[in-house]
Amino acid sequence: MKSVIELKNISKTFRGKKAVDGVSFAIEKGTVTALLGPNGAGKTTAMSMMLGLLEPSEGSVNLLGGSPGDRDIRDRIGVMLQEVAVMDGLKAGELIDLFRSYYSRPADRDYLIGLSGLSPADLKRVAQKMSGGQKRSLGFALAMAGNPDVLFFDEPTVGLDTGARRRFWNEVRQLAKLGKTVLFSTHYLEEADSEADRILLFDQGKLAADGTPEEIKRALVKRSVSFLPETAENDCLKRAEGLLAVRPADKASVTESNGRIVVTAEDTDAVLRVLIESGLGIRDIRVDVGRLDAAFEQLTRNREANTLSETQEAI
Amino acid sequence: MKSLLMQSKAEILRILRNPYFVFWSLAMPILFYFVFTRVLNGDMPNPEQWQAHYLMSMAAFSVMGTSVMTFGLRLVQERTQGWSTALRTTPLTGTAYAAAKMFAQMLLNLLCIVVIFVSGWLINGVHLSAAQWLASGLWIVLASLPFLALGGLIGCMKKVDTANGISNMLYMGLAISGGLWMPFEIMPEAVQRIGKWLPSYNYGEGAWSIAAGGTPSATSVVLLLGYLAAFMVLSGYVRKKQEAV
Repeated sequence: MKSVIELKNISKTFRGKKAVDGVSFAIEKGTVTALLGPNGAGKTTAMSMMLGLLEPSEGSVNLLGGSPGDRDIRDRIGVMLQEVAVMDGLKAGELIDLFRSYYSRPADRDYLIGLSGLSPADLKRVAQKMSGGQKRSLGFALAMAGNPDVLFFDEPTVGLDTGARRRFWNEVRQLAKLGKTVLFSTHYLEEADSEADRILLFDQGKLAADGTPEEIKRALVKRSVSFLPETAENDCLKRAEGLLAVRPADKASVTESNGRIVVTAEDTDAVLRVLIESGLGIRDIRVDVGRLDAAFEQLTRNREANTLSETQEAI
Repeated sequence: MKSLLMQSKAEILRILRNPYFVFWSLAMPILFYFVFTRVLNGDMPNPEQWQAHYLMSMAAFSVMGTSVMTFGLRLVQERTQGWSTALRTTPLTGTAYAAAKMFAQMLLNLLCIVVIFVSGWLINGVHLSAAQWLASGLWIVLASLPFLALGGLIGCMKKVDTANGISNMLYMGLAISGGLWMPFEIMPEAVQRIGKWLPSYNYGEGAWSIAAGGTPSATSVVLLLGYLAAFMVLSGYVRKKQEAV
């Protein structure tokens, strides 16, 4: 498949601090990709460089075979930024018309109105006076005004109620089916998990993980097998350690808590098999899958850096 | 081309729907004109001349206000609210956007001038020759460029509140000390000495001269060009400095 976005070893330094640090990836046509990470992880900065709003300090960005700032490239992308800015004094309908005039092959007006979910009465209202959710829906329609091939959404569902959120993701799925490429940033793990084909996990400016939601989850979530020794005297903990030590690929670690022996490993099925086959006297076996959100939180704790505001300042 | 037209139309709509514009650029000058020529003009030696003179002052005051306040504040708002950034992701070029803005501004300046001239004619029956009306109108439009550049300079400010405060002060200060509000001659001598060098006085001077049957003085033209160049260089410098992060 053809890549529509390609980042090669991108870095961005603000006042000596690296907001994005040596990130490389390629995005294929017709996919939905999530940039996932806590605030300050470098998502917005990375997206700004993909859009040509910021120049990378190092590395290069290729968007649709060209440079992001180019006019003919911008003709083929649609963007919804975190802050939906609606020009003051203009009505929602006028804004849609204005945006359509910017592009060489604008989308159908009625289609855009449908996307915005705005009623005829709302379309005649000054956009600035609309609610946050309505502005965001309008922002979505404006992003689609040029019938774009690639769509960028920076935290698209913040401030949307559940109904609007569902409508938005349904629409995004439709767009992907039509061969449009969608890239969105989010700090909600569930959203990335349920809506994206692929997750790029950002952490402190670096690409911490890259894969399908399943792969990311497997990497993030701790799985464990815990059990009780059958008899008090057998030296269960030591023996289990010995059994697993010969299998380093499982990355297993053995601990004891409240009399239970806990084995944490990536592939708990394999661990179980080894333990049962070895004839180790164990009982009351439990397999636990850690909570995904807890694992994500763990990964991203204490990382609420101030890179976000720096990015916005720089733009 | 289509986007340029649409953008100009949008800019015009935005300015016309802005209550500040309607108040400061249309209502206030007309109200002032009425008050200072019909209510408080008892001791003017030559009322007819004063009516034409003050009409020019008010037209200049109006256009200067639009340029300094509306234009400058708009720029700050658009930047702080992320509108400028959003536009940079669309195919609309910065040049087209600026051109649409200038065009809209010029057109509305013309509208202000026509409305104020017509109200002068309606309120006082101000009588000038066709050439005088045209020349003074043209002068007020063209010589407003330094004030647009000043608006551009205000547009570099980071916060809307700061920009609002400073542009208000500049606007009022320039209008009063430049003799646009009250006859220049009744100002204290110190103010007059400084005022003669201000862009607002020289802006008014050109229009007053035309209304009195003369032409704008060379000093005024040179000073206004100087201010235009200075404001442009200054805002170019500030912008460059802001970009270099």
